[in-house]
Amino acid sequence: MDEKVKVEHLTKKYGDLLVLDDISFSIKKGEFLCIVGPTGCGKTTFLNLLTKIIEPTSGNIYIDGIPADPKVHNISSVFQEPSAFPWLTAEENIEYGLRIKKYDNKYIKEQSSKILALLGLEDYKNVYPRDMSVSMEQRVVIGRAFAMNPDLLLMDEPYGQMDIKMRYYLEDEVIRLWKVTGSTVLFVTHNLEEAVYLAERVLVLTNKPATIKTEIDVGLERPRKVSSPDFVEIRKQLTDMIKWW
Amino acid sequence: MEQFKKKNLIYQILPLVSVSALILSWIAFSLATGGIIFPGPASVVRRILKTFETPIAGMTIIGHTLISLKRVLTGLFISCVSGISIGILVGSNRYLKATLGSFLEIFRPIPPIAWIPIMIMWFGIGELPKILLIVLGSFFPVMLNTASGISLVNKINLDVGQIFGGSKISILKEIVLPTALPSIFSGIRTSVSCGWTVVLAAEMMGAQQGLGLLVMKGWGINDMALVLGAVIIIAFIGAMFSYLLKRAERLLMPWNR
Amino acid sequence: MEQIKTKKVEVRNLSKIFFQKNSSFEVVKDVSFDVYDGEFLVLLGPGRCGKTVLLNMLIGTETRTSGEIHINGAESGKPSPAMSMVFQKKALLPFKTVMENVELGLKFQKIEKEQRRKICQKYIDLVGLHGFENSYPHELSGGMQQRAGIARAYAVSPDILIMDEPFGALDAQTRYQMEEELLQIWEKERKTIIFVTNNIEEAVYLADRIILLSSCPAHVKAVFPIELPKPRDLFDPEFLRIREQIETQTDLSL
Repeated sequence: MDEKVKVEHLTKKYGDLLVLDDISFSIKKGEFLCIVGPTGCGKTTFLNLLTKIIEPTSGNIYIDGIPADPKVHNISSVFQEPSAFPWLTAEENIEYGLRIKKYDNKYIKEQSSKILALLGLEDYKNVYPRDMSVSMEQRVVIGRAFAMNPDLLLMDEPYGQMDIKMRYYLEDEVIRLWKVTGSTVLFVTHNLEEAVYLAERVLVLTNKPATIKTEIDVGLERPRKVSSPDFVEIRKQLTDMIKWW
Repeated sequence: MEQFKKKNLIYQILPLVSVSALILSWIAFSLATGGIIFPGPASVVRRILKTFETPIAGMTIIGHTLISLKRVLTGLFISCVSGISIGILVGSNRYLKATLGSFLEIFRPIPPIAWIPIMIMWFGIGELPKILLIVLGSFFPVMLNTASGISLVNKINLDVGQIFGGSKISILKEIVLPTALPSIFSGIRTSVSCGWTVVLAAEMMGAQQGLGLLVMKGWGINDMALVLGAVIIIAFIGAMFSYLLKRAERLLMPWNR
Repeated sequence: MEQIKTKKVEVRNLSKIFFQKNSSFEVVKDVSFDVYDGEFLVLLGPGRCGKTVLLNMLIGTETRTSGEIHINGAESGKPSPAMSMVFQKKALLPFKTVMENVELGLKFQKIEKEQRRKICQKYIDLVGLHGFENSYPHELSGGMQQRAGIARAYAVSPDILIMDEPFGALDAQTRYQMEEELLQIWEKERKTIIFVTNNIEEAVYLADRIILLSSCPAHVKAVFPIELPKPRDLFDPEFLRIREQIETQTDLSL
C-alpha cells in the first residue's frame, strides 16, 4: 500500500518537559485517520509539529518519502474556529489556495464549482463570511482545504461547537468530500463517537508524555449507525482505553 | 529552561547597552563640537551642582524641580479626579454622552499651548493659570480613556451583576470600574506626559520659578549646560513617573500580569 | 410512589420579536411549559437562535414581547434572588479571584465577609476547586472556570438554577466529567435546574424531562420525560434508542 505520510520517532521536549515521546506511524494515501487522546495529551504540539510550525526535538516527518516542508508540500489545516477570509466570497474563499498556487483559471473554476456542488452551496457562492452562519463558514473553510488537493489535510476538532444533528450532517459531508477528492486526512478529536463514525483507522494517544497506545481498525460499512451494536462496541473499547473522567 | 534564562538576560542587558551608547555618543559629540554649544555630561553635572552655591532666582535646582513638580501634581490630581468622574458619567450614560460628550468634543482639539495667551490675559501670571493650563492639557486623555474603558464592559458581565442582585452603584464598583481600570491607567500615563509638556510651556512664559524658567534663563544667557541640565531632570522625572505608574498598575491589577 | 409536584415556574405563551428598522425577527414563538420543584429540566434546541433569549426572559434581563412568567406563583419580570444562572463562557470576572467571583452575589446582598466566605468555601469545595480560591480565571482550565461559575450560582442559595449551555465550550471528555459532577451536586442540593443545551446526548444523560425546541423561531416541538435511573449509561441500548428518537425529531439548522 502507498505510504503518503510517514512519521518516525517524533519527540518533543520543552526544556525538561517531555510532551511527545517517540511517536511513529504512517498514513496511507487516501486514508482517513483519526487521532484521539485524553484531554491535555499534547495534541496541539503534535499538530504544530506536523504543520512545521515548531521543530521536533528529534524524529522526522516524511511526505512521499521526502522530509515534510511547507514550501514543497501542500499541507492544509482546518481548526475549530472557522477562519474564512472576510474579504472574499464563499467561491473566492474556496478558490483562494488554488490561485496562490497559480493554477490556470479553467481548472480553478472547475474545481471550485465541483466543491460548491458537493457542499450544496451553489446558491451561496457570492455570500461573504459576515452573512454566513458559523456552520456555513466552517463548511466553506473545509471546502477551501479540500479544493487544494492537499498532500495532507489536518483537521483539528472542526465540529467542536456544533450541535449533534448538524454534526452528523457535516460529518457525512466531510466523508463525501474525502471520497470524491481522494485526499489523505488526519482528523484530531476528543469526541470518540465522532472518531469511530469517521475513521478508517483510529490512533489512540496516551496521556502526557504522549505515545501511541494502540490503533484500531474501524472496519464498519458506511453509512455508519451510532446505535448499532458493532459501532457501540468499538466506541466502548475506545472509551475504556482513554477514560480519565 | 536554560535557553529561556539566557534569552531573558539579553532583554535585561539590552536597555543598559542602549543607554550607555547614548551617553557615549553624547560625550563624543560634545568633544567633537568643542563643548560650548553642546556641553558634555561632566559639565552639565558641574553646572547643576553650581546652583547650590549660587542659586538662581533665590533657589537651588532642587527648589525649582519641586516647584514644577508641585504644579504638575496639582494639575494632574485635578484632571484625574475630574477626568475619571466625568469619564464614568459619559461612558455609562447615553444622555450625558450625547450632551456633555459633544460639548467637550469642541474643546478637545484645542492644543493646550493655544490657551496660554488667554490664560495670561484672564488670570495673569500667577499659579492659577499655570495649573489651569496643566488641567486643560491633561484632562482629555484620562477622561476619554475612562469613558471608552467603561463602554468596553461586556453585556454578559453586566447581566451577571443584575442577576446576582447588584445595585447600580455596586455593579459600577465591582464590575464596571475594574474592567475599565487598564484603560484608565493608560489614560493617566498619557495625561502625565501631557502635563509635563504643558508645565514647561507655562513656565517658559513668565514664571519666577520652576524648571521651565531654568530653560528660559539658560537660553537667554547662552548657558547650554543649564538648559541641558533642566531637560535631563525633566526626562528623569518623566521616567520615574512611568516607572511608578507601572508598579501601581501591577499592584492594582494583579490579574493583568 | 407518585409525589405531588409543586410548580416552580410557569411559562405561558411567551414570545419575543426583535424589531429592526424595516423588519422584524421572531426568535421565540408562543412557548409554554412548567418546571416542577426539584426537577432537572432540559431545554434542548438546535443552533443558536432563541434559547438564550428565552432564558434571558426567564431570568429577567430581556424584555418579552408577550406572554407570562410566574415564579413560585408570582408574576416575574426582573432578576430576583430566587434564581441564579450559569453562563456558557467568559462570564467570570477576569479581575476577581475564584473566591471573589463566587462571593459576588452574597457581597451584593451585604452578607458579612466572614460569613459569606464560609458559605462560598462550601460550594468551592463542592465543585472541586479547593486550593484554587485565590486563582484568577485565566489561570484555570475551561472546565475549572465552569466549576467556579457553578459554585457562584449555588452560593446565593437560589430556588431555581438556570444554566445556559454551561459545557458548550468544553471538549467532549471534559464535558462528560462535568456532566457527572453536576448530577452529583444536583443529587446533594436538590435545586430545580433549567438546563439549556444543543447536545442530545447531554440532554438525555441529565434530564428528568426534555423540552425539545424547534429551530428559529423557538417553539415547543415535543416533551420527553426520561425515566431511566441516574446515573445513566451512555452505551445502554435504551439510552441510545431515546437519543435516536429525539434526534429524528430535532430540526437541522445549517
